[in-house]
This record gives sequence, structure tokens and C-alpha cells, in this order.
Amino acid sequence: MIRAQGLTKTYDGKNAVNGIDFTVEPGRVTGFLGPNGAGKSTTMRMILGLDAPTKGSVTVNGHRYASSPAPLREVGALLEAHAVHPGRSARNHLRWLAASNGIPTTRVGEVLELVGLDSVAAQRAGRFSLGMGQRLGIAAALIGDPPVVMLDEPVNGLDPEGVRWVRSLARQLADDGKTVFVSSHLMSEMALMADHLIVIGRGTILADSPLQDFMAEHASAYVRVKAPRSTDVEALLVGRGLDVTRVDDELRVQGLDAPAIGELIGGHGLFLHELTLVRSSLEDAFMELTADSVEYHARTEVAA
Amino acid sequence: MTALAAPPTNASLGRTVRSEWVKLSSIRSTWWTALAMVVLGAGFTTIISGIAAGDIASGKSHDSPGEYITQGLIFSQISAVVIGALVVTSEYGTGMIRATLAATPVRSRVLAAKAIVVSGFLFVVGVVTAFLGYFGGNAFFRSERVGISLGDEHMLRSMFGAGLYMAGLGLLAGAIGLLVRHTAAAISIVLALVFIIGQVVQLIPGTVGEWVMKLMPGNAGPGIVVPVSFGDNMLSPWTGFAVFVGEIALLGLAGLALFQKRDA
Repeated sequence: MIRAQGLTKTYDGKNAVNGIDFTVEPGRVTGFLGPNGAGKSTTMRMILGLDAPTKGSVTVNGHRYASSPAPLREVGALLEAHAVHPGRSARNHLRWLAASNGIPTTRVGEVLELVGLDSVAAQRAGRFSLGMGQRLGIAAALIGDPPVVMLDEPVNGLDPEGVRWVRSLARQLADDGKTVFVSSHLMSEMALMADHLIVIGRGTILADSPLQDFMAEHASAYVRVKAPRSTDVEALLVGRGLDVTRVDDELRVQGLDAPAIGELIGGHGLFLHELTLVRSSLEDAFMELTADSVEYHARTEVAA
Repeated sequence: MTALAAPPTNASLGRTVRSEWVKLSSIRSTWWTALAMVVLGAGFTTIISGIAAGDIASGKSHDSPGEYITQGLIFSQISAVVIGALVVTSEYGTGMIRATLAATPVRSRVLAAKAIVVSGFLFVVGVVTAFLGYFGGNAFFRSERVGISLGDEHMLRSMFGAGLYMAGLGLLAGAIGLLVRHTAAAISIVLALVFIIGQVVQLIPGTVGEWVMKLMPGNAGPGIVVPVSFGDNMLSPWTGFAVFVGEIALLGLAGLALFQKRDA
């Protein structure tokens, strides 16, 4: 279990993390979601005692990370990939980690096999692809068989097979009762992986709820209607008290389900060209939620 | 999957030292640099001795073989500085420092382990270099019948002193590395300090210049390496080495203070 209380980090007078409170519970995958620069990595570094909080505190299993005599046995973390010496082999990278926490060397071979790097264990890590580097980082996180696993952007650089592997690994760890805390800036990825979501933007928690609740609350749905006599259709629907928005030649209707809308229009002798239920994706919900907290906006307008 | 034994309940410096040794010994550049230290050090000692032997034997030179028998170690200093700096700065260059501190959050223990491993390693390589240089160089002196012996005064101090000085140089470079956190900067600063600034300060007029020069690390430290000193205005061997150790300790403590305070 990870618990943050009033956790704050200030760089040059600017709050990177702004007094956040949250608890990461065991037995489920908790997604830590936010745009780049939202404070995810800073928070994770504070959990590991790498950065000192300006204010507040964060504990792992009830105590400060740094007070653990063998922290890799308690928390395994994948921080940025390639935090590895390029001249050292994968096996040796894991060997020094094992030695530092009194973990038997036999475990090195096991985690190499688990992440699928056993055939390249003797190769220098500098020759690894981004995806292999991520796998090595995950092996390092699991070396102490810790009850708490923290993965910062684990799917970065992985191929589709690797992405699926990380997903099922996170699931399996949670099912084993471990605390799994996974950060990402991709809502779509979190939707597939997480049971619980903590959304952060500009250093503040924007949402902290089960994934299902988050979807129900933030993802909206409407019925897209396309018809040749669209003004008549619009007038009809508005006349029934439905919420209608016109976007180009389509009507977005809320307040009635698709079959009922179809019957209503048909009953008035009007033709339909399209009738579709559209769910706005979680990605849209996330964008909406964090729209004000994104640090750098791209501008799409073109100079006249 | 092996069930891991119960985690250790007390943290130990021994585990951190073992871990740092795995790190140092699993990088090829460590061994190449150590090899360069031995080859350059012993090689140049042999060559320089070979050149001097004839003149000493013929009486053309009044130098003593002892002045030459550790000369090549001047070049070995570069390797010691490189290894010492890399032990610290390579972690910053690669971002590995975060993995290191996640594994061992007590920062003073990380530094202590690094210091033990790098100084131990450089001591051994330094002593090996000195002995090989002695055997190589003395072969020439012997053939000219001006050979020296390990039993001669200060000879053993010189052989083991070479190890101590190389270990100290590595620690000095590591301390500077901790302050600047950049490989090229750390190596340049220490090499400049030892090879250039240590000489340039002679230009400061009067006794001030004389003392500043004596106290520079690259001048105070190696007094214990040479069995027969070739200059008069140097501190005595062990006094010089004590000054050198004091300088390393000061820089090391400054580095430790920063290391404790900074975010990784």
C-alpha cells in the first residue's frame, strides 16, 4: 500500500506536485494518469525517496521507503528506461541490484526468463532496443519479488506484443494481491489495464475513482442522425424536447435511445441516412478533464 | 520461482560494497583502463630506467636509480583519475544513480561503499604496476651493475605507497565527480589540478608560491611513491600524504553534504 498525505514538491517556486493525498490499495491495478509534466514522475520519485518532498509525506507499507533495510524486497520500481549503464550486460545489471539487497543470484535468471531476456542476458544493455530496455527495467523491478510494484510509463517503446504482455503482467501481479501502481499519459492504455484511476494534472488530483465510475461519470454518449431533410428532422426532435446539436450535416441527439429516435423520424415519413450510437471515448473524457491542466498546448490554427 | 528467504532486517555496508564491486568489475572500460595503468606505468618506468642506466653506470649522471624506478607512474595517474571519476559520474550520465539510490537509500552508505571499492581496486592495481616497473627497470640497472633491491631503504614504502597514492587519486576524482556530476568535467579538473595547476603555482612569487605548490594534491601526495626524492622543496613523504588525505577528506565531505541534500 502506498499513502501520500499533503505531498508537495516545489521547483524554483513553482509547484510540480501540489499537496496531493491518495492511497494505492493492494490487489488491484491503480492507474496514475496525467499529461506530460503533470507531476507523475515527480510523485514516483518522492515515493522512492529520490526526491525529498517540500511538504507532506508519503509512505510505503506504513513507513518511509528509505527506512527499509532491503527496499527492493518491498517496492520494485521501473523508473525511466535505460537507467542502465550501456556497457554492462543485462545479467550483471540485475546481479548488482540483487547483491545490494541480499537477494540470491538464482533470482537473476528467473526474472530474466520472466521478461523474456534470457537469450540476450550476456549482451551489453547499450545494444538493447527501447523495448528490451523496458523489459530489463521491469525485470529489475521484480527482482526482489516485492509486494508493491510501481511502473512509470511501462509501455513506452514496446511493440504490441510487449504492450499486451505488460498488461497481463500487471493484472497477474494485482491478482496475486500485490499493490500495482502504473503511470501513463495514455487514457486508452489505462482503460485496458487499470481497475482504479488516479488522474493528475498540474500537480493536483483531478479524479480518484474506480475505472467504471470514472467512465460512467465522464464518458458521454449521443445518437448521430443523418437525414436528407435535416432541418425538418431537427425541428421534429427539438419539438419533442430532445437535446440536439448540429455539427455540419449531422445531428447529435441526446435524451432518447437510437431505436426510439429512428421510429420517431420514420413515423413522420422522413428518411434516415444514418442512425448511430456514439460513445465519446475515455480519451475524450480525459482530454476534457485535463484540458486546463496541460502545460503545453499545440495550436492548430493557421495564420491568415 | 524461488520463494525468497525472509528479507534482511538490518541494512549492511557489506551488501552495498559487494554490489558496487559487481558494478565496477562488470564494465569492460574498468579493465581496459586498469590495463593502461599497468602498461603505461610499468612500461615507462622500464624505458626511462633503460635510458638512464648507462649514464648512471658510467658516472655521467649522478642520479640514483631510485629516482627513476617509479617514474612511469606519472602516466598511471591518468587511469586512476578516470576510474575514480567514472565510478561516480557514469551513474549520473546514465541515470543509474536513481536505481542505485532506490536499492540503497542511505546515501552515506552508497558513498562509503564506492570509496572502499574504488580505493581497494586502485591500491591493488597501483602496487602491481609499481612492482612490475621495479622488475622491468631494475633489469636494466642490474645489467649495468647499478641494480637496487626491494630491501633498500624506502623501497617497500614506495611500492605500496604507489597503491596508496593511486587509491587517493581515485577518491579525489570521485569527490570532484560528486561535485560536478559530469565525467569530462571531473576528469579535466583533476588532471589539470595534478599536471598543470600544480606546476603553474610555482610562478606565485616568494614563500607563498613555494607553499601553495607543496600543498597541491598532485605534489603533496606522490612523495611516498618515490624512494629517492628528486626535489628539495617537497613535503616529507608521510607529511605530504597526510596533507593529500586531508584534501580528499575535505572534498569528500563537501561532496557527501551535497549528495545528501540534492534530489537524485
